[in-house]
Amino acid sequence: MSAVEDTVKDIVVKIVHCDREILKPEATFQDMKADSLDMVQVLVALEDEFGIEIPDEDAQKFKNFGDFVSYVEARVAEKKG
Amino acid sequence: MLKGKVALVTGSSRGIGKAIALKLAGEGADVIVNYFRRREAAEETAREIEALGVTSQVIRANVGDPEKVDEMFDTISGSFGRLDILVNNAASGLPRSALELDAKVWEWTMDINARALLLCAQHAARLMGKRGGKIVSISSLGSSFVLPKYTAIGVSKATLEALTRYLAIELASRDICVNAVAASLVPTASGMLYASGGEQEMPAPPPTPPAGRLVSAEDIAGVVAFLCSEAAFMIRGQTITIDGGTSLAPFSLE
Repeated sequence: MSAVEDTVKDIVVKIVHCDREILKPEATFQDMKADSLDMVQVLVALEDEFGIEIPDEDAQKFKNFGDFVSYVEARVAEKKG
Repeated sequence: MLKGKVALVTGSSRGIGKAIALKLAGEGADVIVNYFRRREAAEETAREIEALGVTSQVIRANVGDPEKVDEMFDTISGSFGRLDILVNNAASGLPRSALELDAKVWEWTMDINARALLLCAQHAARLMGKRGGKIVSISSLGSSFVLPKYTAIGVSKATLEALTRYLAIELASRDICVNAVAASLVPTASGMLYASGGEQEMPAPPPTPPAGRLVSAEDIAGVVAFLCSEAAFMIRGQTITIDGGTSLAPFSLE
């Protein structure tokens, strides 16, 4: 597991209050029982943590936890670039 | 006309905020587009503003976060060094009844819809200085009337209107005019999503106001622009209802 993935899990667990074990790449937001406010707060927390921006235009394409992690990893790599 | 004035419209990437931003720009003001989640839409709004021959700047900030509000006004201070008009439009909320609300949703809604006016007005008053200025907030009929699953938003809008009255008096001697407008349902993307319970497109058309059509974002922008004009100088602390008569005629005559 990458350091980014680990941090994303920390943030999702803290905000959504779901079990860490369910956060597999294929887990959907329904699996996490996350409502739309949870999701916005997760996005904002990730942005603050990694110093990136995740606009809704991109976030709307996320289908599962794996999409989340890949996106953040790509943006963090871009930033280090 | 607003030539030479600098206006900030919070939440102006789309919907009512965008219509207000374009209206003020059309009257000659330079307009700062604040957004939180939709960068592409905000940048498109800024392009449309600049096409009207005025300056625009896009600033990202969650107005529910005091630190982000501070940063936004630091940016405005650095770029423009002044502010003449604050339109407090940004709003958020989830379709929940009182018994479905938890503390997190309540605080989120109150922070963005009500506390943001306080924090933005404090900064705005400082940047308006001795020239005075205009502060206009966007409320809704839910501040005075009970709408389904609108509890936290309705209460936040009532707070917004009460704060508008306090600010109007406390800032009156600085020539800062503080007012609000309260609209009935406006068929923007957010308005329709809310009216449908937050999950889907509106299942049935909402009731038509006595005026014969739904209120548009442009209807609201027109009244906001009036409240930002010198003609409205003696209007202080008022909330102007824009609802095509809906609130006066809850029962159909037919």
